[in-house]
Amino acid sequence: MTPSGLHEVLLRHADERDLTKRAEYEAVGGYRALTTALRTDPGELVESLLASGLRGRGGAGFPMGRKASFIPKPDQTPNPIYLTVNADESEPGTFKDRELMLRIPHAVIEGIVITCHAIGAETAFVYLRGEYATEFDVMAAALDEAHEAGYVGPGIAGTDTNVTIVIHRGAGAYICGEETALLESLEGKRGQPRSKPPFPAISGVYASPTLINNVETIATVPTIVGMGGEEYAKLGVENSAGTRLFSLSGNVVKGGNYELELGTPLRELIYDLGGGIPDGRALKAVIPGGSSVPVLTADEVDTALDFDAMAQAGTMLGSGAVIVIDERACMVQLGLRVAQFYMHESCGKCTPCREGTRWMVQILRKLEAGEAEQGELDLLLNVCDRILGNCLCPLGDAAAMPIASYVAKFREEYQRHIDEGGCPFGGESSLEGVVAPVDQHHAHLRGQIEVPIHA
Amino acid sequence: MSAPAVELVTVNVDGREVQVPKGTGMIETALAAGVEIPVFCYEPRLGPPVGACRMCLCEVEGMPKLQAACTLTAQDGMELRSAQTSAKAAEGQNAVLEFILLNHPLDCPDCDKGGECPLQDLTFRWGPSNTRMHFPKRTFEKPIPISPTISLDRERCILCYRCTRFSEGVSEDLQLVAAHRGAQSIITTFEEEPYRAHFSGNVTELCPVGALLPSTYRFRARPWEIDNTPTVCGLCPVGCNTWATTREGKVQRILSRNHPEVDDGWLCDKGRFTFDHLRAEDRLREPLVRVRRRGFEAVGYDDAVREVARGLREAGGSVAIAFSGGETVEQASALARLVRQGLGGDAAILPDDLDPAVDAFRAPLSAIRDAEICLVLGDEPVMERAPIVDLWLRAARRAGAEVVTVGPAGSVSTPPGSAAATSAELAGGGGSDELRDAGRRLREASRVAIVWSGDDHDSGRRAATLAASLGLGDGSGLYVLPRSPNGRGVAQAWYEAGEGRGFDPSGEEELGALIVSGDEAAYDPRVAQLAERARFVFATSMFTGDHTLWAHVVAPGTSYLERDGTVVNLEGRAQRQRRVVDPPHLDELELLARVGTELGVPIAPWAAEATVDDHAELAPRAQLEAPPEFAPAASTNGAGPGLELVVYRPLFSGPGVERVESLAFQRPAPEIELAHADAQARGIATGDTVTVGLNGSGRALRAAVRRKLRPGVARIAAEHADGLGSHVEVTKA
Ligand SMILES: Cc1cc2nc3c(=O)[nH]c(=O)nc-3n(C[C@H](O)[C@H](O)[C@H](O)COP(=O)(O)O)c2cc1C
Ligand code: SF4
Ligand code: SF4
Ligand code: SF4
Ligand code: FES
Repeated sequence: MTPSGLHEVLLRHADERDLTKRAEYEAVGGYRALTTALRTDPGELVESLLASGLRGRGGAGFPMGRKASFIPKPDQTPNPIYLTVNADESEPGTFKDRELMLRIPHAVIEGIVITCHAIGAETAFVYLRGEYATEFDVMAAALDEAHEAGYVGPGIAGTDTNVTIVIHRGAGAYICGEETALLESLEGKRGQPRSKPPFPAISGVYASPTLINNVETIATVPTIVGMGGEEYAKLGVENSAGTRLFSLSGNVVKGGNYELELGTPLRELIYDLGGGIPDGRALKAVIPGGSSVPVLTADEVDTALDFDAMAQAGTMLGSGAVIVIDERACMVQLGLRVAQFYMHESCGKCTPCREGTRWMVQILRKLEAGEAEQGELDLLLNVCDRILGNCLCPLGDAAAMPIASYVAKFREEYQRHIDEGGCPFGGESSLEGVVAPVDQHHAHLRGQIEVPIHA
Repeated sequence: MSAPAVELVTVNVDGREVQVPKGTGMIETALAAGVEIPVFCYEPRLGPPVGACRMCLCEVEGMPKLQAACTLTAQDGMELRSAQTSAKAAEGQNAVLEFILLNHPLDCPDCDKGGECPLQDLTFRWGPSNTRMHFPKRTFEKPIPISPTISLDRERCILCYRCTRFSEGVSEDLQLVAAHRGAQSIITTFEEEPYRAHFSGNVTELCPVGALLPSTYRFRARPWEIDNTPTVCGLCPVGCNTWATTREGKVQRILSRNHPEVDDGWLCDKGRFTFDHLRAEDRLREPLVRVRRRGFEAVGYDDAVREVARGLREAGGSVAIAFSGGETVEQASALARLVRQGLGGDAAILPDDLDPAVDAFRAPLSAIRDAEICLVLGDEPVMERAPIVDLWLRAARRAGAEVVTVGPAGSVSTPPGSAAATSAELAGGGGSDELRDAGRRLREASRVAIVWSGDDHDSGRRAATLAASLGLGDGSGLYVLPRSPNGRGVAQAWYEAGEGRGFDPSGEEELGALIVSGDEAAYDPRVAQLAERARFVFATSMFTGDHTLWAHVVAPGTSYLERDGTVVNLEGRAQRQRRVVDPPHLDELELLARVGTELGVPIAPWAAEATVDDHAELAPRAQLEAPPEFAPAASTNGAGPGLELVVYRPLFSGPGVERVESLAFQRPAPEIELAHADAQARGIATGDTVTVGLNGSGRALRAAVRRKLRPGVARIAAEHADGLGSHVEVTKA
């Protein structure tokens, strides 16, 4: 049976009440899970997370309970244990974590405290995307309230559990969402990924065991404690338990975040909930999991929104950002736009990504200008291929995978740019609303650092 | 040292089985199997691998993706296939090289690295023969001087981050950093200030391409027209092993010749760049003889030998000698025999006079890194006296050792000049709570390193007493830092040439003759005073100048790069110094031999004691005869008004360094270091100009406020302390 329609678990009551207020959150049962959890044995909590089937919502989809079980027990390590919440949300098309922080900040906090108890951590860092100013204010205010009520701090809810939460604001770098670059940045260093192993679970922030989870993953924890792991696992489909927030954007009538049971068909999200493509235009392609994943064509719109179905279709659920592309889009332009983002955000640590992303942009520019020669399409594919799997962190793959998929699935359109010496759309194409161009990111950056490309 | 049992594992590399200790790095494991995996960023001396360049991609059985071999360690049953047997790995490697070369300028014909460049070599062996990139390459302004000694070519940089990792994780000066992101990443200095740090030059050797190069070597030579001579640095008591590169009989650069027990492949900038003093304009090239009223006159060696022999003979046994401490053992021995055996003299100024008891706790410098706890005693900054020791201490701290520094700027704060008293307290289990606790931890630890960095003349004996009382065993080491590069060897030569310890020539009476050996001795104010009491003074000196004005005969001296002989470093390791280039005059040992012939003391032939083996070994520990006596320690420099002045000798000082223009920026700024409390009480902040002196008269210096410095103490480099007493008033100007 395929789940269908909106299914609000995380965002239940969020439309009726202002859940940023602690009293309101408590009124709908908030912080009850915390009180239960703190009286539960940590091992049992981890078991329950395992049983829930909850998979990370940040991108990679790693089972949260498994990751938590890798953390050494407090008596097995001389160092403190830390929890780090990844709130860097920077994958183009993704805006779900900000909604969670803006609307149910207490669920995030409650999830943090429960998770800390489960892994024996007394300090949690929230690494917040630098541009998220309002989100910071809302989270900070909620944290103050939680403090006042004794849900955070020393001796929480009459137990001997202590949890300190520190909100750390980033400085505007996509790479700092990658977990090890995040840790470096948190330590005050240049935000660049570390070589793994050691994995953060063994040696994370300040060389201590560290659990890193996405905001949404953490915000789901109170729900799991509330309903029990086995019950939660009944939501969704096999291998993809629960609900997820999908950030719907692009050429769609009603963009926004939709909480759906995993396994819901993509078509339902785009057409039934999202209202379809504006002005009756035709669907051309869908990016199902943020700009870093391979594209789906209009024919594949019946694919279900779950991990396995997406893998079968050769793509990924990623960060849950569904970007709808209509017939006006030129896929070369889209390729250039996406490639520019990853070139701009490549941290520069490893060779294939640093050099390859720039080369990709150079070739795509040439293609778009209609100046490319025969053979350069294969060159572009080969450059992607030479980046794929050869980098230190997944950002290089994130740049190569989508571009390679655009060329593979829209090869004819790419080829026409060469054959016709220009864009077949003749200037009539539009990427309106589809992945912000990189200069909009520039505007966010202090000093407006230019990235010159001599092409 | 109790060797822990090593577990051997079997790894298969390209079909060859090899057994290595578990956890051995994969690059080394492959080498053991006879397989070379190319690397750029991998350099184990810089800390854990970073996996940045991706040059070492290999296929590992059971892993879907290629792996950076440098980040792997040997596990039992592992199967690795390098580019030599795996097409996938070869493709990965080829891809990485293509990416590296994409924006590389390939200006090898005018790159100083050309011919000894790993990138050139690897490209030649594995790389693509042409380019598929037809866009304009990335360009940067080049070269950029990041300091007067180092220039940076950002176009050639392959961003392996070796240099920044050195700056962050080895020397810990944190000055070299990466800026910007992605393809626009660059190496730069913090706030674009010059890279001014004691060890900066090492990055020019770490850089695997021609991006960071010594400016002093720019366009000087090509690898096929140079010679590299193995020798030992003669500028401080560490005795780093070096290669001296010469072209057409001139030294062009100094490189490290990694001795893993001594220097771990690092050099300080003094050792690396001072060679230029060989070409100083004021070098003495001929012997000078004083001619009444007309000053000095250049003479031939025959005349000089006759004059020296006459002057010494006429001294009638009243002969003293002042050593510099940089002489080889053979030079010192010739001088000592001349004085003690030929002339019946018995007086010497020895820059160092370490009690042989320290040799009972001898250990290689590398043992510092493996210590559990390190104790550093004394007023002299270790970094200024024996720089590499400072690097070993940092390595120890990074490896988790506790480093207790006791002194006016130490973690345990003590008054200046109290190292002796402190050591007595530590040995006796007394002193402040802090000291008692430290003493307890020192006794409990099984691997201890004690570094003594001070000028107390009894320091050797006191240090040995402390080491004995703390029960330093195998795996522990005692390191008393001499003042001079071969002070230990010189003292040894002096004692071997005659009976007894001789006497200290300080006093009032007239001296028959004084021999001043080398510029360091000539610069010593004690020696100048002695010269005034001598009827005849014979000096050897590399340079002309005021420092030998009082001599009767001055003969040109050699540099440590111009002579062959033995030097004994602070560990007590005898190493071979080699003649890298010929001096522009007769070797002074030759001259001494001829004087010896005149005086009936056979000096020639001499043969250097230390072997020319690659790396000199450290002699086994000496037996500690009887536990040395405990002498009560005088502790203070005396009381006085104002702040007590601690004067230290900076590394970048001395007759050689002062003649090297490119090192001028390294010399200490005209600065006085003040304790935080003293500065606050006087309203002084770092950077302020202050007046230093007594009774209103004083000189203007820049203030540097130090949180670690003990209140009541001010610290200053010797060259700015001229004329200042033991106590000074400091006021805001
Ligand atoms: C380049 C890059 C950027 C990433 N950005 C984010 C991000 O903004 N937020 C996030 O939660 N995870 C991000 N991730 C994934 C994290 O590395 C990590 O897998 C995740 O935070 C783990 O949390 P989860 O298991 O709860 O998903 C990123 C990964 C990469 C490679
Ligand atoms: S893949 Fe890109 S972002 Fe990741 S480490 Fe390499 S250069 Fe940095
Ligand atoms: S300057 Fe040299 S050592 Fe530094 S990152 Fe570039 S190539 Fe590596
Ligand atoms: S540390 Fe001493 S021996 Fe080593 S290079 Fe420097 S001056 Fe020479
Ligand atoms: S040598 Fe292995 S990644 Fe650079």
